[in-house]
Amino acid sequence: MALLRRPALSIPAAAAGRLRSGRLALFAVAVLVTGVALLQVHQFSQVTSTGYQVDGLTQVRAEKQARNHELEAEVAALSSLGRVDWEARTRLHMEPPKQRLYIDVNQPAPQRETLPTRFLPAGGPQAAAAQPGATPSQPFWRRVLKLLPLF
Amino acid sequence: MLRQRGRMYARLLIVAALFAAAGGAITARVVYVQLVNSAHYKAAAQNEHFGQQEIRAPRGAILDRNGYPLATTVDAYDVYINRPDWQNVADAERAAAVIAPVIGQPAVGLVREARKEAKGLYLAYAGLDFDKGAALRNADAPGLRLVQTTKRFYPEGDLASTLLGFVGRDHAGLTGIEADYDRELGGVPGTIYFERDSIGNQIAIGSERIGQKPKQGGDIRLTIDRYIQRLVEGELEAQIAKTGALGGTIIVIEPKTGAVLAMASRPGFKLSQLNLNDANVALFRNRAVTDVYEPGSVFKTLTAGMAIDLGLVTPGTTYNDTGAAYIGNATIRNWDYSVNGTTTVTQVLQRSLNTGAVWMSGLVGPEKFYQYVRAFGIGTTTASGLGGEADGLVRSKNDPNWTPVDLATNSFGQGIAATPLQVIAAISAFANEGKLMRPYIVQEVDAPAAKRSFSPVVVRQVVKEETAHAVADMMNQVVEGIPGHLAAVPGYHVAGKTGTTTGATLADGTVHDGNVASFVGFAPAGDPQMMMLVKLDFREDRLGGQVSAPVFHDLAPSILAYLGVRPNGPQLVTTGN
Repeated sequence: MALLRRPALSIPAAAAGRLRSGRLALFAVAVLVTGVALLQVHQFSQVTSTGYQVDGLTQVRAEKQARNHELEAEVAALSSLGRVDWEARTRLHMEPPKQRLYIDVNQPAPQRETLPTRFLPAGGPQAAAAQPGATPSQPFWRRVLKLLPLF
Repeated sequence: MLRQRGRMYARLLIVAALFAAAGGAITARVVYVQLVNSAHYKAAAQNEHFGQQEIRAPRGAILDRNGYPLATTVDAYDVYINRPDWQNVADAERAAAVIAPVIGQPAVGLVREARKEAKGLYLAYAGLDFDKGAALRNADAPGLRLVQTTKRFYPEGDLASTLLGFVGRDHAGLTGIEADYDRELGGVPGTIYFERDSIGNQIAIGSERIGQKPKQGGDIRLTIDRYIQRLVEGELEAQIAKTGALGGTIIVIEPKTGAVLAMASRPGFKLSQLNLNDANVALFRNRAVTDVYEPGSVFKTLTAGMAIDLGLVTPGTTYNDTGAAYIGNATIRNWDYSVNGTTTVTQVLQRSLNTGAVWMSGLVGPEKFYQYVRAFGIGTTTASGLGGEADGLVRSKNDPNWTPVDLATNSFGQGIAATPLQVIAAISAFANEGKLMRPYIVQEVDAPAAKRSFSPVVVRQVVKEETAHAVADMMNQVVEGIPGHLAAVPGYHVAGKTGTTTGATLADGTVHDGNVASFVGFAPAGDPQMMMLVKLDFREDRLGGQVSAPVFHDLAPSILAYLGVRPNGPQLVTTGN
């Protein structure tokens, strides 16, 4: 029996075009879905790593706060009466007075300086304020702007 | 052929129907779980995936009147061992070699204690310094669990221990100011929600969120001055050691405001060596407000004040002292068995004559006497805000078993029980133009809810202003009218009265037939800025004038100079100690 030869199916040109565009569309959808999936994975990964960074920074902040509290406690301990008494007796070799003198002083108390005088300009804090160019420090960007014309 | 195809279709239909039924059941179940009963399963999932943890709020500080911290909070770590991780001996020993030196325990003991059980967590150390804990966190120690916490720190050491009190392991106040103002100091705890894995560990995936931020506890500012408190505690301990006293109390107040500048009691306890397992809880009491005693002869100032206020006597009024007063079948004699003849009211106080006090109480009468006693605040709490404050005990005419002998003995401070704070508050009326002030120890509370300040409170005008001046003058005569009085302070006019009575309080809180020696005084007499009560307990008989008055003499110059009170006399005054 002779092989049946089937004539080749002839696909009209329009149908072939539609098939090609269908495959393209399918390919585009696949690429889109893959892209979205990859984007989601990427974002999820970013969120995770950011979460770990935030966790680390939170820990750092907690450590800084704890260190602040420790320093406050240290300041309090250093200014405690027990320590002042110990320093006076052991380091400065002071002792309680044997005699008590009362002297009236009718002059006003000296003005309290926040810095030792050797760090202040001659004339005190007022002289520092009156010095030319003695402006308070400015942020970096403002200083840069000043260098540009029209600012 | 057609029949075969028909059977095939039937079988296909049956299979399809079965699949459809199964799919329908699954769909129904999905609809039920995700729509109908979604809330329940969502909650179960939340509960499974998310955990919550309470964040303890940092505890507020306790400050003295000038803002110096007496108690503050620092961060710390509690060191736990996960027992299952230490079931392997090699791992346990390796971890213990790292942990034990940091927490100051022997490694062998640590391993033995942690491996006593196979499950759970073992608390190896509570309150490890934050720096040490942070270093330990990075160490290779299997089974180590560090939980961040806080602990109390006392910059002034053991100063004012009975007044400040302490907190327990759960950081709640147990005694003293820590307990009385626990709500303000404790703040409001917060809550943190986090996602956790299948075994409950937190996942750092950014899902952690704070449900409620913790609100830091407020600070408490006391009226106590740390310098005066330190002076008072040092002097009290020195005097107890010198005289062999069982204990004592010293209170220093501003008589015009009622602000307590210092309050010290012994025996007490050390905040730095606190042992919560100590059975002798009596040491934790603030005896200045919890313990009552018979005031003794200091009460004669109140009796004299009543009689003067009622116009019955003046400081110069006299009576005949025969050395004894007879009330019913009872005979009351002077403490020194003296017979003084014609004696003024002022001399009654100077010589502390019981017969004179009995005479004055007879003039006043029981009705008025007990009215004045109550008006002076004896027998009721002072409402100072300190916990555990005792009422005191006054038995008046309407009480059962009262007899006229009670009136007589009450007149010189026996048969009446009052706390040291009640006594100094009552007598302070004579230093404040007759006004009784409410003693207070908390100046300001800076709580999360609101900031509150406390001002002096005038309880009542107990006696007239001129009566108060008269009694103050007589008390001045007690000190300066007797040469060599041990309470005299060179350069200042001092007013005061000694007291000696029975009933000393032991360290365990029981009272035995000992002796209480006290002195109450204020200075300067004309414009009082400082008032002090000194009370010492003894097993044997000791006089207030001998052991308590010298304490006033030693402390007053330093306190008055610190307060900037000018001494009397010329511009340059020299006093030798």
